Amino acid sequence: MKNKIILFWAIVLIVIISIAVIWKKPTSLGLDLVGGSRLMLEAQTSEAVKKITPEIMDSLQYAIENRVNALGVGETVVQKVGENRLLIEIPNISDTAKAKEFLGETAELEFKEPAGTDANGEPQWKTTGLTGKDLKKSSVATSQTGEWIVSLEFNPEGAKKFGALTRRLVGQPMAIFFNGKLQSAPRINEEITGGNAQITGGGDGFEYKQAKEMVDLLNAGALPVGAQIIEENSIGPTLGADSIQKSKFAGLIGLSLVMIFMILYYRLPGVIACVALCIYSVIVFAIFKIIPVTLTLAGIAGFILSIGMAVDANILIFERTKEELKAGRSLFTAINSGFDRAFTSIFDSNMTTIITCVILYVLGTSIVKGFALTLAIGVLVSMFSAITVTKNFMHLMFGTGELKHPALFGLKQSDIQNAFVATETKKEKAKFGVLD
Amino acid sequence: MANPNLMNQKQIIDVVKFRWLWLAISALFLIPCVAAIIYLMATQPNHAPIKLGIDFTGGTILQYATKDNVTVDDIGKIREDMIKEGFMTPIVQNINNDNAGQASTNGIKNIISVKTGFIDDKTGETTAKIDNIVSKYVDSAELVQTTSVGPSLGSELLKNSIVALLLAFLGIVVYISFRFKTDYAVITLLSLVHDALFVIGVFAIMSIFSNVYVDALFITAVLTVVGFSVHDTIVVFDRVRENNRFLAKKYTFNEIVNASVNQTLARSLNTSITTLLTLGALYFFGGSTTKEFIFAMILGIAVGTYSSIFFASVLLAWDKEIKDKRAVQKAAA
Repeated sequence: MKNKIILFWAIVLIVIISIAVIWKKPTSLGLDLVGGSRLMLEAQTSEAVKKITPEIMDSLQYAIENRVNALGVGETVVQKVGENRLLIEIPNISDTAKAKEFLGETAELEFKEPAGTDANGEPQWKTTGLTGKDLKKSSVATSQTGEWIVSLEFNPEGAKKFGALTRRLVGQPMAIFFNGKLQSAPRINEEITGGNAQITGGGDGFEYKQAKEMVDLLNAGALPVGAQIIEENSIGPTLGADSIQKSKFAGLIGLSLVMIFMILYYRLPGVIACVALCIYSVIVFAIFKIIPVTLTLAGIAGFILSIGMAVDANILIFERTKEELKAGRSLFTAINSGFDRAFTSIFDSNMTTIITCVILYVLGTSIVKGFALTLAIGVLVSMFSAITVTKNFMHLMFGTGELKHPALFGLKQSDIQNAFVATETKKEKAKFGVLD
Repeated sequence: MANPNLMNQKQIIDVVKFRWLWLAISALFLIPCVAAIIYLMATQPNHAPIKLGIDFTGGTILQYATKDNVTVDDIGKIREDMIKEGFMTPIVQNINNDNAGQASTNGIKNIISVKTGFIDDKTGETTAKIDNIVSKYVDSAELVQTTSVGPSLGSELLKNSIVALLLAFLGIVVYISFRFKTDYAVITLLSLVHDALFVIGVFAIMSIFSNVYVDALFITAVLTVVGFSVHDTIVVFDRVRENNRFLAKKYTFNEIVNASVNQTLARSLNTSITTLLTLGALYFFGGSTTKEFIFAMILGIAVGTYSSIFFASVLLAWDKEIKDKRAVQKAAA
């Protein structure tokens, strides 16, 4: 009995810790619940790049990370999937047109020299070989007249190229193209050797936002290979909020119905099962927060399903205990053997669920993974809760004596047989479950 | 250690005596399912047993939420306009978002779902075109969800899903042969196929008569159903194994199977009832996007309970009977 009381307080302690964890740690909700965009990019091979190597993926990931972070929308995720894919998650932005535009831009900066004029007298330009690749970094600055400008700093090689180019072009204009668009074409007055240059916004000047966007793109660098969007999933925040609210409501209704059923059918043990179920939910939820598991709609479905399995463990045990009681065993023996015998069923059936979960987790897409993970955690905890929590509460509640009120188990006195009569075992022996 | 008195209890169901009745009921449900699956495999260009959604074929689904009522007429006009704009065979559907009269707090009344081929534009022009068409007929329409899957990814996902299904089957069979006997494993496999066929078949029948397409979540549902079905079957088999160990000398195997099914009957039904209660709550009050997923599970749990009581145990008793007969013949010869 002493052990049982120690166990009881251990369970109480676990529950308190779990509640503290739930209280302290924020729930990480999936994009389908908070709204946001999920994109899958696939690196494309080309004439220049025949094979996608891990190095290329690294630099692609780096470039995309920089660009996505520049959106400034909090916890973005850029992660490699398989050999040539990147998964990008941007919370709170469901307008993928905006996100995609940003990802698609190539940040091509080019310096061009004059090449005569066309029929209409428009100046023509030709490539010089000096591009954004020769940049070390760029930043937003203000000119002497107070306009926003983009300040450029070349790397050593770029500085050499830039020096040579400006020496050649003294007295002529030099054009700066960004993504194929002419930004400005300042006249070169003298050779520039310091390795620094600036882009002014031409006639109208830059807005701050324009200058900032350009700097971000330039600093992020060009994508090393082309990337194509092969999967896209964006959910508006209104739909996400709608789903959360509905899942909560449905979950509560489902849980209450199950509890009502359990109490009506199993009486006092049913009440214990309900308490165990609440403890179970608290522990599972705390584990979700510790790992942390990002909750998605499918993940919530997995959790609710695991509640179903947790209830099943209790049902198996109670049915078995009732059988033992009917056979005339004492309460203590009936509860113990009820648990022992139900355990093989619970263990075998839960193992098959775990096998399925592992396979789903390894092979599934991210939605399916979420489902498999929550279900597996739920099933594992349910074994603990059914065997430890329910059993402990049953023992503490019923003690070791005989069953005085069969109605507590939903049984009638007439249901209870005398096991020793049926099997010709001595009454004393039968009580301890010895039937020969 | 089994309880011998339980063998003498009143038995509600006789699975051995009415063997043919139970198998006939299974056949009655499965034949239309199998017919629908074969029909789809024969008529669909990709020979899939079920209509595959964009997760597997590639494509784009745009979902618009609206606070207004949407008429069948509006939907038809949106479809016509899209065809005029050059979209190939678009599918436009209206999903009611009001659950059992419980209006959502955001006031979303309907969700218009537009399905087209894979939209591959980095500028968002194509999406804007559809935006315009939808908002022309439904004022308050707001794009709330975009799902787009490239065709190559789709076929890869399909391959992965099938591999996952087969591996799950294999894993379960290996585990049961290890914990029980190969006979039990084969019968579990049969009843698991029985259940999976039923769920897939019902969706095949539904997709013949309406635009029901299955997505990656459906595969998850089938796998969960498989897990649950095995769960149920194992509980019955576990009892047979236990009873057989202690009572085989006194009773025939048929009697033991019958008693085992009846002893686990309350548990089988109660577990199904509680699971169906939660699933029912999710179906009627949960989000409209997971409805089909939940429906597939409800079907699966129901059929899984039936198969564990009336299919797996029937086969188990029958299998033993045949083996015993053979043994007798051998001995005689």
